[in-house]
Amino acid sequence: MEAAVFKLPVYDLLIEKSLLKIENLLINNFNLSKRAIALLLLQGDEEIHKIVSARDRGNYEAIERIIADTQANYKEPLYFVVNLQRQHTATRLSDQATSAPEEPRHSFSEKISRLTMRPVTGVPILLLVLYCGLYKFVGIFGAGTLVDYLETGYENIINPWVNRLVEIYIPWVPVQELLAKDYGIITLGFRYALAIVLPIVGTFFIVFSIIEDTGYLPRMAMLVDRVFKSIGLNGRAVIPMTLGFGCDAMATMVSRTLETARERIIATLLLALAIPCSAQLGIILAILSGKPRALALWAGFLLLIFLLVGYLTARLLPGARPSFYMELPPMRRPNLRNIYTKTYTRMQWYFLEIMPLFILASVLIWLGNITGIFQQLVAWLTPVVNCIGLPDAIAQVFLFGFFRRDYGAAGLYDLYKTGILNSAQLVVTAATLTLFVPCIAQFIIMIKERGLKTAVAIALFIFPFAFISGYALNWLIFITGVKL
Amino acid sequence: MKSVKHNLLFPRLKKALRVDHPKESLKSSHGLKKIVLVGTPNVGKSVIFNFLTGAYVTVSNYPGTTVEISRGKTFIKEKETWEVIDTPGMYSLLPITEEERVSRTLLLEDNPDVVLHIIDAKNLERILNLTIQLIEAGLPVILVINMIDEADKLGIKVDPAILESLIGIPVVTTSAASGYGLDTIKNTIWDYYQNNTLGKQA
Repeated sequence: MEAAVFKLPVYDLLIEKSLLKIENLLINNFNLSKRAIALLLLQGDEEIHKIVSARDRGNYEAIERIIADTQANYKEPLYFVVNLQRQHTATRLSDQATSAPEEPRHSFSEKISRLTMRPVTGVPILLLVLYCGLYKFVGIFGAGTLVDYLETGYENIINPWVNRLVEIYIPWVPVQELLAKDYGIITLGFRYALAIVLPIVGTFFIVFSIIEDTGYLPRMAMLVDRVFKSIGLNGRAVIPMTLGFGCDAMATMVSRTLETARERIIATLLLALAIPCSAQLGIILAILSGKPRALALWAGFLLLIFLLVGYLTARLLPGARPSFYMELPPMRRPNLRNIYTKTYTRMQWYFLEIMPLFILASVLIWLGNITGIFQQLVAWLTPVVNCIGLPDAIAQVFLFGFFRRDYGAAGLYDLYKTGILNSAQLVVTAATLTLFVPCIAQFIIMIKERGLKTAVAIALFIFPFAFISGYALNWLIFITGVKL
Repeated sequence: MKSVKHNLLFPRLKKALRVDHPKESLKSSHGLKKIVLVGTPNVGKSVIFNFLTGAYVTVSNYPGTTVEISRGKTFIKEKETWEVIDTPGMYSLLPITEEERVSRTLLLEDNPDVVLHIIDAKNLERILNLTIQLIEAGLPVILVINMIDEADKLGIKVDPAILESLIGIPVVTTSAASGYGLDTIKNTIWDYYQNNTLGKQA
């Protein structure tokens, strides 16, 4: 298709001449014009170089010579020169076609925008957002009030009713146990999914959608860019990391937006290790909410691990440090419709994803119970668990956690209600459970996104690391004798 | 076992996050005429895509949600079905990120009949750089200056007629969020396509 011929001069004579020479050497069957290809070659685009060197083999050497000769005339790299000259034209065009006010008007949203990014004001704002959004809304309201209400309802109304129904209509005990009783699909699987996980994930996704829709997210990225640089990431990684607080599996997938393979590996590792998903986060916040010191210890410990492991990985993994460039969308009042659709699609994804796994977990546990494998696994895990100062019953929670993070967290909630754990044990369990295993769904996505080798390496690192950290934390609490 | 689960998980993931692998989505479909939307993230590409296709796409206010390509169909002049392709964010033809690479591969290998470059009226200076690159590449570009209302609030006035005469491609101003100017886009696409094909025949 013929398109408009550009009327303005864009590049200087020297570059124009080189372009013409390269264009003449190209055998074009690209979809883009020869001029564009010549420009990309001049700018050192690897992909285009590869294609041209393979296809126009005879002329490629000549083209490379032209590029080298052109470069010899400039101090800066050619991609910089070319872009700068083009930008001059863009600026000229923009100046001619637009008129801006003498004194740039700063709208209200711009003022807020600047406040969120200046460290002095930005850090308190970030803490306030985390406090209100995560702690108050997800932790206290979602995982506390809502879960309490739904859980009690489910256990008092649905469970007895299902149990009775099953006893009346199904004569075989194993099938009764598959559907109902202690580990049944309906009494355990559905209960975890609907009464514990749904309210927490739901409230988290509402908060995330609001933060996303206001445009606050990239500003948060700007704010934490420096900290993230020291762990080998940059501000851009804020998005997958924050999303990880919702669902680590989803976040691992989104980490593909990061620029380098190195960043993607670091982000994947940190997501698998130190970022609790919303179900874990909500339940842990709810359980520890009455014990501010225990909560602070848990949060501080995880933050330490996050920064330490990130820092060490960044040191060990070869590769260049990433540069950071992110377009800032305008700050705006969140749109209700947007929030609704975003929350809805995320919830939908989440539930289509986890319901089958919850059912599968119920079936596996049922099978394990009947065959005795489950008890055997628990028996193996028990000494490990005892070693980090926890009672036998916790072994089961960790086993659950392997199926899904949230499943383990829900199991922890069940156990917490029985009151057998003291504060120190709660903190150690919460920390170890957070670090322990990427759940099955996350692991599958890790394989898909990062490859089998990397995924397995990360998992092999995490298993012992989680328990060693739990051990260290337990020992630390014991040695210092802090009252929690 | 593992691969079975894989297959079970992935279609849903794909659907919810709209993840297409570039290779897959580059298959051209049924010889329809194609409109490709390009631009930086957060300039309203998704809203315009939704307007054209009527399909639901996550409308996001942060870079990184549109990692993939979404496709839909639209009617131009109420009779012709065109395919509409939404690309991930793009700042330059020289790609830095995966998103940009995916976008460029699409421009390289697909054959768009019209490219809509959607830009932010408040930030013309920076983004016109890409417009120039698209024109240089010989692509049939229409410039859509979006968020004209927000620019107006800041006292920035944009004259599409002057710009049109300077760069020689159609320029449309819109405010996708409020719906202003969206109908003009379709008419401009049609006129531009007609002119281009007539010019080619002549």
